[in-house]
Amino acid sequence: MELNSSTSSSSEGKLVVSRVGGFLAIVALLTFALDAAITAGLRRLPASPFGITNRIVEGTINANIVISGSSRAASHYDPRIIQKMTGEKAFNLGRNGSQTDMQLAVLKAYLKHNRKPAIVVHNLDAFTFQTTREVYNPAQYVPYLRENDLYQPLRKINPQIWKSRYLPLYGYVAEDMSFAWIRGLRAFLPGQQSNELIDGYDPRPAKWTEDFARYKTTLRAPVRWDIEPEGIRLMEDLVRVCREHGIGLIFVYSPEYREMQLLTANRTDVFAAFQRVASGVVPIWDYSAWPHANDSSYFNNSQHLNEIGATTFSTDFAKRLRQYLEARDPELRAAR
Amino acid sequence: MHVPAAGRATFERFCELRHSFILHMLFNSLEFAIYFPIVTAIYFLVPQVWRVRWLLAASCVFYMAFIPAYILILLATILIDYTAGIYIGKLSGGKRKAVLWVSIVSTCLVLGVFKYFDFLTNSAASLAGWFGWNVPPVVTGWILPIGLSFHTFQSLSYVAEVYFGRQEPERDFIVYATYVMFFPQLVAGPIERPQNLLHQFRECYQLRYRDVTGGLQRMAWGFFKKLVVADRLALYVNDVYAAPSNYNGLQLTIATLFFAYQIYCDFSGYSDIAIGAAQVMGFRLMENFRTPYASLSVSEFWRRWHISLSTWFKDYVYVPLGGSRAGATRHACNLLITFAISGLWHGANWTFVCWGLLNGLYLVAGSFTKEWRDRLFAAIGLGPATLGRKGIMRATTFLLICLAWIIFRAQTLQDAAYVVTHLANGWDFSAIATPHFLLRQMPVAIAAIAALELGQSWQRASSFTNVIRQWPMPVRWTAYAAFVMAVMLFGVYRGTEFIYFQF
Repeated sequence: MELNSSTSSSSEGKLVVSRVGGFLAIVALLTFALDAAITAGLRRLPASPFGITNRIVEGTINANIVISGSSRAASHYDPRIIQKMTGEKAFNLGRNGSQTDMQLAVLKAYLKHNRKPAIVVHNLDAFTFQTTREVYNPAQYVPYLRENDLYQPLRKINPQIWKSRYLPLYGYVAEDMSFAWIRGLRAFLPGQQSNELIDGYDPRPAKWTEDFARYKTTLRAPVRWDIEPEGIRLMEDLVRVCREHGIGLIFVYSPEYREMQLLTANRTDVFAAFQRVASGVVPIWDYSAWPHANDSSYFNNSQHLNEIGATTFSTDFAKRLRQYLEARDPELRAAR
Repeated sequence: MHVPAAGRATFERFCELRHSFILHMLFNSLEFAIYFPIVTAIYFLVPQVWRVRWLLAASCVFYMAFIPAYILILLATILIDYTAGIYIGKLSGGKRKAVLWVSIVSTCLVLGVFKYFDFLTNSAASLAGWFGWNVPPVVTGWILPIGLSFHTFQSLSYVAEVYFGRQEPERDFIVYATYVMFFPQLVAGPIERPQNLLHQFRECYQLRYRDVTGGLQRMAWGFFKKLVVADRLALYVNDVYAAPSNYNGLQLTIATLFFAYQIYCDFSGYSDIAIGAAQVMGFRLMENFRTPYASLSVSEFWRRWHISLSTWFKDYVYVPLGGSRAGATRHACNLLITFAISGLWHGANWTFVCWGLLNGLYLVAGSFTKEWRDRLFAAIGLGPATLGRKGIMRATTFLLICLAWIIFRAQTLQDAAYVVTHLANGWDFSAIATPHFLLRQMPVAIAAIAALELGQSWQRASSFTNVIRQWPMPVRWTAYAAFVMAVMLFGVYRGTEFIYFQF
């Protein structure tokens, strides 16, 4: 009887191990396959931040003027206008929700895969010296975690990022709330997805939103932006990288809504830090006093120009850039 | 009344600290996905005599993943109730009763100090403030040991059952400690009775394919409820209830309906995972939920919702108070007292007390108006078994429960009042999304609720686990794999803790 019980227990054990193990193996295989399919799909997207990163890592951009920065960069500089006015191919690497750490990472990845640009225009923000606490839309980096230039800064911000790199689907389901995986799978279906970014430029709708009004109601005191030593170091690293590659660098503080400027308590300190980083070598073009900085019809919210504002600003900026390039390169002036 | 600012600050600090600790061994964590198979495999590999010890050791590790030092508190209550159980079994008369009270008071003291001390001192300070006395509250700021209310009640249940002679005192300390600490149900129940669970630790369970697959299926269903439904809806609910005045009536209504599903799926999902995990190892835990939103009355709802707690309160509070045997007024008082205590059990906040009282009031009103309602239904031609009557009763019950959930979920009574009075105001269909819940998530959320209801109706109509078992293996496995992949892909994995952990 005992023998029977023991035999039956052993056979049940084998059944459990073989069946449950077999099922888990199938699930694991499916997980790997799905992860590979999603990654492959996202890496063939022409649109969205994925499309931009795809072009970066494929080395197909090769612009002469590269704009880097945050969402302010992405929505303020129209490469078409800059290209038309300067005659140089321009591309916008601005990333929504990014701080200097990830902006620098994207720039480094760009420089690794693409021809060196003549000029990098780095857009400054009042929060430039603050490092990332939480990566915005982390799924946008998941298909590219084998790129060390992107992976290492991400790991510094989020030590758990290794899970997204090594565990199948983890980066698409555990770290992402935007259903990027659906976008990846849809990439295999016929019909192109609309490209909402124009050479990296992310135009914002004309309507002035209630964001700023809401933001002001939450303010109990004027805003103070941290000037973190790590933020300074990153900016110095940016200067160093450009210098080492022989790339011209310009810091630009693109227009910010005037009322917001007045609400920033330590603006002078932030600008002094910009000066220290630039150390007289990197020009700083400050558009704080832009003629339309008081006019909300040029803005989408306090930080971002709308499409009309961006067109106006891009034109102003491109004119100045053309003069700068001509002054820097007499041959270019002669050619024109 | 409102929660004083100091109390709220402590609560927020507690939430932050708890969050930093709690992420290690949640059922929906990677850590648990590794821990559970290892514990189960070793459980079946070691000889029978070592199994309970192994379970106890594993449960200790599980508990200590939260705040290691707190195991000493748990150990203290275990020792007290274990010793009390033995003495209650030995003694008789007044001494026996005295030991029972020593056990109850000392066990409740731990609960009182950790869970209610700050609340009581804050409330006392507020009360003093009303009389013009400036008495600063004494705030400990201690973090609540995880699952304290659950294992405290499980311990009390043991002592009471031994006292009433319905359970033999447990002499094996390891077995008793495992009964209190059994990791699947340690932090959020079901609150087991000794008659159901204690003897199971003496049995020699063999690894059974049917138990393993049944348990894993139950766990998968629990993960679906938690990850796909509850945590997705939580994104919306948390935004709206954090600042209700920022949202319009439609958003408040959606958030309230979502919360009804969120809390159900969160807690019943936990119970499913707990019951499933125990089943894999051969253990049978009691059912904790039976599709409560299908109830035709609030009293039926309470027979289907958190059954292990409802029956605990019925057996150890409501019945000893006299239950329904002592006249209508006394019956009403007993209901209100029981539900007020039940509310307080859920949290040290006046919102919970009011929520409990409101449910008590529902039951009192339900029993007083029963005849009148029957006559009304008869007058409009709706007999007891008609679909129309059932539909009306079901919808009314659901709405009453949702109304009560508003008080439960709101951070303050003022917030609750705001939500209740603004549900019908300014519905704006162009402003449905919230900062953390973009409109694209709405179809997923609604589909998740629909899938839940569909699954539950299927289960009610015919046990679908049995139906699926009849399918050919390739079809069955395809269905299982599709379900697992769907949970993976549509789940929300932000390390969100289970709501009932805080109780």
